[in-house]
Amino acid sequence: MQTQYVSGSAVSPPALGAVVASGPRQKVAESAMRILVIEDDREAAEYVLKGLRESGYTVDHAANGKDGLFLALSEPYDAMVVDRMLPGPDGLSIVESVRKSNITTPVLFLSALGEVEDRVAGLKAGGDDYLAKPYSFSELLARIEALLRRAGAQPENTFLKVGDLEMDLLARKVVRQGKRVYLHPREFRLLEYLMRHAGQVVTRTMLLENVWEYHFDPQTNVIDVHISRLRQKIDKPFDKPILETVRGAGYKLEL
Amino acid sequence: MGWLKRLVRSITFRLALLYTVIFAVSVSGLFYFVFWATSGFAQRQLEAAVEAEVAGLQESYERSGTTGLAMAINRRVDPNGRDGAIYLLVDQLGTPVAGNLGSWPRNVAVDDLWVNFNIRSMEWAPEEYAEARALQFFTREGFKLIVGRDIREAQQFRRQLLQSLNFGLAATILVGLLGGFIFGRGVMRRIEAITKTCTSIMSGDLKQRVPIGNASDELGRLSKSINAMLDQIERLMRGMQQVSDNVAHDLRTPLNRLRSRLEDALRQLQDPKQIEVIENAINDADNLLATFSALLRIARAEAGLQRNFIPLDLAAIGEDVAEMYGPLAEEKGLSFTARFEAGLWAKGERNLVAQALANLLDNAIKYCPEGGAVTIVSAMIKGLPAFVVSDTGPGIPDEFKGKVLERLFRMEQSRTSPGSGLGLSLVQAVARSHNLQLKLDDNHPGLRVTITFPEALSAPVPQAVPVREVQAA
Repeated sequence: MQTQYVSGSAVSPPALGAVVASGPRQKVAESAMRILVIEDDREAAEYVLKGLRESGYTVDHAANGKDGLFLALSEPYDAMVVDRMLPGPDGLSIVESVRKSNITTPVLFLSALGEVEDRVAGLKAGGDDYLAKPYSFSELLARIEALLRRAGAQPENTFLKVGDLEMDLLARKVVRQGKRVYLHPREFRLLEYLMRHAGQVVTRTMLLENVWEYHFDPQTNVIDVHISRLRQKIDKPFDKPILETVRGAGYKLEL
Repeated sequence: MGWLKRLVRSITFRLALLYTVIFAVSVSGLFYFVFWATSGFAQRQLEAAVEAEVAGLQESYERSGTTGLAMAINRRVDPNGRDGAIYLLVDQLGTPVAGNLGSWPRNVAVDDLWVNFNIRSMEWAPEEYAEARALQFFTREGFKLIVGRDIREAQQFRRQLLQSLNFGLAATILVGLLGGFIFGRGVMRRIEAITKTCTSIMSGDLKQRVPIGNASDELGRLSKSINAMLDQIERLMRGMQQVSDNVAHDLRTPLNRLRSRLEDALRQLQDPKQIEVIENAINDADNLLATFSALLRIARAEAGLQRNFIPLDLAAIGEDVAEMYGPLAEEKGLSFTARFEAGLWAKGERNLVAQALANLLDNAIKYCPEGGAVTIVSAMIKGLPAFVVSDTGPGIPDEFKGKVLERLFRMEQSRTSPGSGLGLSLVQAVARSHNLQLKLDDNHPGLRVTITFPEALSAPVPQAVPVREVQAA
């Protein structure tokens, strides 16, 4: 199940090969998803690789731009994690070349350059998401899972169904167990995002970025207040709560 | 007339003014000494002549009595009066006996030796008042003699001298001021150029350099030193940015790892007591991480590059942030008011402006006691677009108003409440990079924070919609 590519002059840290995947998640049980991590910082790479493997993914690592580009173009991956600053071709040009070769694998940029213009440049080059260093591993994992899910999802579904919860995006209507639930516009968008990522951990930052479309640090967990309001409407009146808090990470809508 | 005001306030001009004043004082001292010496000399000469004449007449009187005196006087009188000499001899009753003065002058004190008086009519000057200075002399028979000189001419000379000295002084002051003005303006222009460069550097454009001009003079040398200093600051800034990025990387990553390990440990525990300990440790790690990212954000906000600024619809941002924080205020039992004037636009970075507003609202909500009121308003204040966030909480005493903007500063009363002490520093950092004016006022009771944008924009053509960067799947 583990594959460690050593191509060209790339010398992967010896410790990495010894890492054995542990604690596989239920969703990966059928077929392990393959993820390419292009990151030159050895310690950061080790941390990401170990975490991803523990979460049940098959991970390849390239420590420079040249090897990264070679792997990205020659191997099929389900997702790529690319550092912006690399020796050899940098992250931006790697992703540009990958996109030119009609490879649509979702790409998550990692970058110490947290500035907005860097974010925009990354997304313009063909990245799908952008995570500024330093990040928490749970944030990285949640985003990778969102990317993997997105790659498989039908693009513009106008009807969403998660368990006994249904959302009609055209009629702007939410129904649970046959009972109509009335939501404010923001609550509606919040629930839509959670439903599109049902079964997956969604972090507060992801909600802020995708539901409110802001990239900033809201100090207090204002998002929690909005979630608790949503819960009042979709969970409280019903026997079984479906919006779960994942401690230390975020929220999850139960499948 | 702003430039004139600036000129008057400029140091060069003030120096020139000071020099002018000192010069004018010394010149006037010199002038008035000349004046005093000249006019005093003329008067002393006149008095000496009169005294000599009196002495001569006295001699005649001693020799041949009153008659001789009268004859001597009549001999001396110039019928045309060209020499300006005045004589009058009167008897005991005051009847003129000899001389060229019509009558004994009024207002002449008896015991004064020297007298000044006006003479209304004399043969040579019937129409005018003539000024005279004269010496009195009494004979033994009780006859009175006055000998004097018409001093109109001398006084006119005095007046003319004074006039020309005054005129010279005025010219000196005018030339001094004009010189200071021209000199000051030239120097001021160069200093202004330096100031302008420094201002744009302070707003984050470290690439700017001061124009050097004449390299060998003082200002040229000053400009060169400033440029050298800027080079060094730029180098240091780059180094510091690198360090802060490295610190971010080097400290955040192990902290996150620590947190993941704690989470791992948590999953394997059953004992609720142990679980609580680990949960507290995770909370502590989260607080550390939050403080750390806030510090990083401040560094980034301060370095905020104005070239990336776009026109922002202030009402839209205000509404977004108010919508985000409104429920938090309501949850706390506060009355929450948000009112945004439509059509206000200003330049900025959307996320940073939103962050500043969010921090202000967050603070207002945090420190406002239950039942209080929190208000966020956008409006045109004195011609500039501004946001005002106010609460009815305890407010900030005047002595702390500057301090609360410093990093990690927290007032004693607020140390117990959660928070990193970085909220307002971040607002300050955003204000700095955006040239916003940040003002903390008393809300009677509570705190009122006003952030004013440096200029208003007119609403742009509707294409400037913020990019939706990450599409929901």
